[in-house]
Amino acid sequence: MQPLANVTPLKPPPRAGAIEVRNVGQVFRTRSQDVVALEDVSLDIKPGRFVVLVGPSGCGKSTLLMMMAGLRAQTSGTITINGAPIPQPDPDRVGVVFQEPSLFPWLTAEDNVEFPLALRGVAKAERRAKAQDALKLVGLEGFGKRHPHELSGGMKQRVSIARGLVQDPPVLLMDEPFAALDEQTRMTMGDELLRIWAATGKTVVFVTHSLTEAVYLADEVIVMSPRPGRIVDHLQVSLPRPRTYEMLSGDAFGALRDRIWRHIRKSA
Amino acid sequence: MSAKTLRHLIVVGLIVLWELLPRSGMIPELFLPSLSSTLLAGWNEAGEYGHALAVTIYEVAVSMAFACGGGILLGAIVGSLPRPRLLIMPMVSSLYAVPLVILYPVFTVWLGIGSESKIAFASIYGFLPTMLATAAGIQTIDPQLLLAARSMGATLGQRLVRVIIPAAIPTVLSGLRVGGALVIVGVVVSEMLISSAGIGYLISRYRTILDSPHVFAGVLLVLFMAIAFNTAIRWIERRAAIWQTGMRAGQNAADEIGSGAMQPAT
Repeated sequence: MQPLANVTPLKPPPRAGAIEVRNVGQVFRTRSQDVVALEDVSLDIKPGRFVVLVGPSGCGKSTLLMMMAGLRAQTSGTITINGAPIPQPDPDRVGVVFQEPSLFPWLTAEDNVEFPLALRGVAKAERRAKAQDALKLVGLEGFGKRHPHELSGGMKQRVSIARGLVQDPPVLLMDEPFAALDEQTRMTMGDELLRIWAATGKTVVFVTHSLTEAVYLADEVIVMSPRPGRIVDHLQVSLPRPRTYEMLSGDAFGALRDRIWRHIRKSA
Repeated sequence: MSAKTLRHLIVVGLIVLWELLPRSGMIPELFLPSLSSTLLAGWNEAGEYGHALAVTIYEVAVSMAFACGGGILLGAIVGSLPRPRLLIMPMVSSLYAVPLVILYPVFTVWLGIGSESKIAFASIYGFLPTMLATAAGIQTIDPQLLLAARSMGATLGQRLVRVIIPAAIPTVLSGLRVGGALVIVGVVVSEMLISSAGIGYLISRYRTILDSPHVFAGVLLVLFMAIAFNTAIRWIERRAAIWQTGMRAGQNAADEIGSGAMQPAT
């Protein structure tokens, strides 16, 4: 095929890690009635951004994340990642981290991290090398031989993050990953995640209940309304990076946090 | 003194009592022959006992294959599919309460008094707990693990081999332990009821002629069989379920590692 030197494409090809959500709706059909979980959600996430989804319980933010992961089909609308739809999970494009670390208890930490690679038949040596890199990235070098029951809650979640990163996908989706952790561990893990994000340049979509966590981590915060879930606000968080603990008590931080809280209180 | 040495001491003590009490005349030989006369009786009829043991072990092995194979297979189907579960589980659960030994005379009519009827009875006897445990094991798998596997691109087959089977192993093994023990019970009991060979048959025959040493020699052999089975199962459990060491061990390990490991590693 000849290169079409003089033709500029109408639309530039999306860079790795772009997420487009167009008019997405989700209806759960139960025996007695149809429940509209999400209604007409549209969203553009640029590569490398840290985007946080917040909203009251049952606003469909986790559902939206599951659809971005290819784990659930939307009732209407389209979702593309890197410009292509995601009808089923694709660990080359999207890594997922759940609230529960969901580690396989019969595997060691490194075998857990290697799991997605083993599924695709990657050779043992390459698998091991990638798993070691991922464990090192999350600060767990030297803990690879331990089983999950020998790790603390925060360490388990680190393994889970390493597993989401091991195939180097451009997008990392995180569904309330720190919700089950205690406050101190949660703060530490937030800083850790920002460090990993800065080091890897991935697009992160992060679901949380915590407004403080949302503002602290995000470039952008998407606020959703209760069922049927819609986007009610889209905030840019222009606080400088790296984020520090002192910012939590600053005016700018408080203003952003209040704005989100007003949306949520209105809908509660 | 550790619990283990104490346990060993108790066993040794019982063995010594077994020898001393009948010998001193405190217990009549008819009720409990001394250990030495029991062993002697067994030794003198070694050929007969050996043959009977071979028959019993054969029946146990075949029954165990049926009970465990069938139990695991059907348990897996029932555990993973809701429709057969609704259909079969209530039947199986109520069947579990029936003393299945009432079926044995029927089996002897159908299959004769040879090994076949014992195998049929013991297989069914051991099948039920194995199946129930397998079904429970499959049902109680954390759905979050399956979701995580799916998010990593696992196909249905990969989820079965890499998630469902390893996750179900501990529960299935506990079912095998109960099922296997019941298979031994089933074989020996059916041999004692209507039979022409096997350890149970020997015990029953010597009992009718009040030959206690020979009865107890048979009892000892059954005892050894049960111990051997238990040891084998425990060995398998240790091999297959190293991760099952529980929450407490995990907590200790986390404390041991300490807070230093939780600092951001930059």
